[in-house]
Amino acid sequence: MSTTAIRTAHNLVTREPYYQPIGNEIAVFAAAYHNQLPVLLKGPTGCGKTRFIEYMAWYLKRPMVTVACHDDLTASDLIGRYLVKGGETVWVDGPLTGAVRHGSICYLDEVVEARKDTSVVIHPLCDDRRLLPIEKLGEVLAAPPEFCLAISYNPGYQSVLKDLKQSTRQRFVALEFNYPNAELEQTIIEKESGIDAAIARQLVKFGHMTRNLKGSGLDEGASTRLLVNAGKLMASDVAPVVATDAAIAQALTDDDDMLKAIHELSRSIF
Amino acid sequence: MSDESRQNILNRLRIQKDLEKFTAGALARHPNLEELIAAIAALERDEQDQIYRSAELVARSNNELAAQFIAKAPAAFYAMGGDGVQEWLDGAIEVFDHRGLGFAVDFLEDIDSFAEAYAGRHAQCAFDQASVFLRHFVRGLGGRELRIATDDDTYTDTEGLYLPASFNVFPDAEQNFTLYKLTAVHLWAQTWYGTWRYQVLEKLMRHFDTDKVLPIFNRLECIRLDACLARELPGVAREMAVFGCHDEDEEQLWAQWREAAPLLAGAGATAEDSLALIPTLLGTPLPPLKLYQGEMFAGKVRQAMFARIEREKSAFQRAMEDMRNEGDGPEGTGADAAQKQLVEMQPTDNEDGSEANLSMQVSIDGKLQQLPEHLKDLVGSILQDFGEIPDQHMERMDLGEYSDDLLPQNGDNDVDGNADLSAEGTFSYREWDCVRNRFREGFCTLRELTVPPGDERFVEETLEKHRGLMKSIKKTFEAVLGESKLQRRQSDGDDIDLDAVIEAYADVVNGREMSEYLYTRYRNQERNIAVMFMVDMSGSTLGWVNDAERESLVLLCEALELLGDRYAIYGFSGRTNKRCEVYKIKEFDESYNLEVRQRISGIRPKAYTRMGVAIRHLGHLLHETRARTKLLITLSDGRPEDYGGYKGKYGIEDTRHALLETRQGGIHSFCITIDNEAQEYLPHMYGPANYAVIDEVQKLPYKVADIYRRLTT
Repeated sequence: MSTTAIRTAHNLVTREPYYQPIGNEIAVFAAAYHNQLPVLLKGPTGCGKTRFIEYMAWYLKRPMVTVACHDDLTASDLIGRYLVKGGETVWVDGPLTGAVRHGSICYLDEVVEARKDTSVVIHPLCDDRRLLPIEKLGEVLAAPPEFCLAISYNPGYQSVLKDLKQSTRQRFVALEFNYPNAELEQTIIEKESGIDAAIARQLVKFGHMTRNLKGSGLDEGASTRLLVNAGKLMASDVAPVVATDAAIAQALTDDDDMLKAIHELSRSIF
Repeated sequence: MSDESRQNILNRLRIQKDLEKFTAGALARHPNLEELIAAIAALERDEQDQIYRSAELVARSNNELAAQFIAKAPAAFYAMGGDGVQEWLDGAIEVFDHRGLGFAVDFLEDIDSFAEAYAGRHAQCAFDQASVFLRHFVRGLGGRELRIATDDDTYTDTEGLYLPASFNVFPDAEQNFTLYKLTAVHLWAQTWYGTWRYQVLEKLMRHFDTDKVLPIFNRLECIRLDACLARELPGVAREMAVFGCHDEDEEQLWAQWREAAPLLAGAGATAEDSLALIPTLLGTPLPPLKLYQGEMFAGKVRQAMFARIEREKSAFQRAMEDMRNEGDGPEGTGADAAQKQLVEMQPTDNEDGSEANLSMQVSIDGKLQQLPEHLKDLVGSILQDFGEIPDQHMERMDLGEYSDDLLPQNGDNDVDGNADLSAEGTFSYREWDCVRNRFREGFCTLRELTVPPGDERFVEETLEKHRGLMKSIKKTFEAVLGESKLQRRQSDGDDIDLDAVIEAYADVVNGREMSEYLYTRYRNQERNIAVMFMVDMSGSTLGWVNDAERESLVLLCEALELLGDRYAIYGFSGRTNKRCEVYKIKEFDESYNLEVRQRISGIRPKAYTRMGVAIRHLGHLLHETRARTKLLITLSDGRPEDYGGYKGKYGIEDTRHALLETRQGGIHSFCITIDNEAQEYLPHMYGPANYAVIDEVQKLPYKVADIYRRLTT
């Protein structure tokens, strides 16, 4: 077994990631990049936002840094901090500072999860100033034209305490993502999981059935990602109903009646 | 004699001795004592223990009854198993208590009848056991929202699926459960695969003797629907093949019908093909209905369909009008039709050509677009009825209807004339007039009233009724409270904050002042939330809804007391703009005392739902409260509606404006409703993620606390 360590600021996407465009999102993102505008990706979980950014990093030939935001993420976690080395203090850049210095694409995933004061540090980077103040160093970094900031969030997430502030969202070019249409989703599942077209079609149908349940017992239906996961299990000879139970139903809910309904929906198709 | 035989004899002697002890010798008179003891000895150890325990218990009442029980126990275990034996013995004791020993002994002796009834009871599947599952399952299959309910007949009226109160066809409960599922699928298939298209229903009722041909139509449609399901839901079709018929003769008869109508099995077959085949099959012997097949009642379908068509046509026309108006500027009040956009609907290319997968896309000024999310269900339902969007739906709204819908309030609607604004607790509020595109300043007069106290036992009864639920609500709320969080950079604490120390060290090295905040500590997150509950007290909440609302409030108060969040409860109702009312139930500074409990109990339905003014008033009260997070939660059963013109778009737009105003004041709004049609207007009013629709009133108490917890953690 071997592991590969990836230095976050230099993560150049060398192989073309598989991505099926849904609309004109590639052109919009590329135009935003060339005009030095930050981009906000909205959409439900597992619909392809992160994959899109990977694809754009490859397309624009820029390194990519991803930060998964959480409610303990501090401004220092993004910008950088001093460390002690051999009795001396050494400054270490955070992922955002690194991305600015190297002209990378910095992707803040699920940005609403971050603390409100943390998200404010990106404000000067997102308007025409494109500056990152590093208070501790007494420096202000001017972002090179190659630097791009992208953030994502899921507007369907139900918590009044986790909403993107107007002052933040109004700095971004916004792209809305949703699950691809049935035909495209089938192609994605076939390609990603290696199952044949007939099974992929059935999986898509099953995915739609679970999405019908959204809001009436399920917070979200099965995402394309979950359907791909189930497809991968099926490609490894796991029986379809077992695969959908493990990869989808159990991931979606703990409610017994709902689990049974999803199980039976799967049985009715496969 | 072998060791094993010796052991057996010893066992039997011990069993006999023990049992005789319980019966004080009554057992010894049994004619085949030796065989009985051998049968008991052959039982499993836990079954023997159960006999000992039960015999001892019964013997306390009567030794003879205990002896009779022991005499029949081996046969009872064989017929019913341990649970059945317990139920059988409980029955005997009850008979003994009420009617005496003789009847109790007879009861014990008639073990076969009891075992048969017991098997029937435990093999059956009752509606309650399947209903929640069926609701999820049918919703997952897609299509229109269908009510799942019980009825004497099994059928669908295209608004609901009506099923028997129980199924007891098979000896196994699981199989009877499957029969529920298959019956629901078959009825759903009628609504989904076009059995009850408008055109089909009209032909059926106009050109045929409906009562005479419905049974034939039902069988033909069954053949067609079975074929549709075999193509799209092969798993269900496999089960239908197994569970469909009672015997082979029935299956033969069905096979003959299938041969007579081969066309119906084809992918493109429609219900009109079934209609066309009716004359050729008149007089042919009918096969019995399949086990999962219901009856057909064209009259009931027609009644439900016509009401729905009217409702959906008007909702669709309203949505189209909104889309046409979207291009208007702020002054464009919709009067100049030339400025409006051209909106058209057209079918999406359908790859498989099947009727069930019809979908539409919208074209605005010639540009194709995906159908807006909130219209998908509505358009889907219209397609289920017509297979297309009928021309009448695309027509502009009737002017009379439209103007009535948008009719602004005027003096004619003032029931009580001008209210006295100087009276204590009377306030004046503006209202948004979407027709004129401006506010009507000081238009609404609102009074603050107090709910008269109701029966104080209501709170206790509610807590008793939902005791289990209350326990679990409290537990989950306690968990919220117990969530501790690591706080960094504290002046004192449990541990050293390394980041802070290193930074402080760096500061010292670089000649800056060192920070004192170098510790971390775990601390329960302080909740700083003020929440206002705005309860719909309109006349439509009469009955179940009102009870569910009051029960929800009781449970919520108990839970909120635990959390320590600041909360207030107000009801709202009114009649016309001059008589808007909010009812004080609990103010922020009031404790959850006896008086508050009595007010909750005293909440009663009043008049209409003028929401905008209530939101403005309560938003103002909430605004004056000190809290970091402010939340306004509405409990409602329907859309804004008041006497006169406060309905349709007018009411929705005013409510939306009121919510936007409160939002600007930093107040988050959320709506919990039981209105099934809420998807049409709530996303517009509250925003896509700020509402929850509860499909049954009974679930309100179960869901409200849960939603509150999710909203605020």
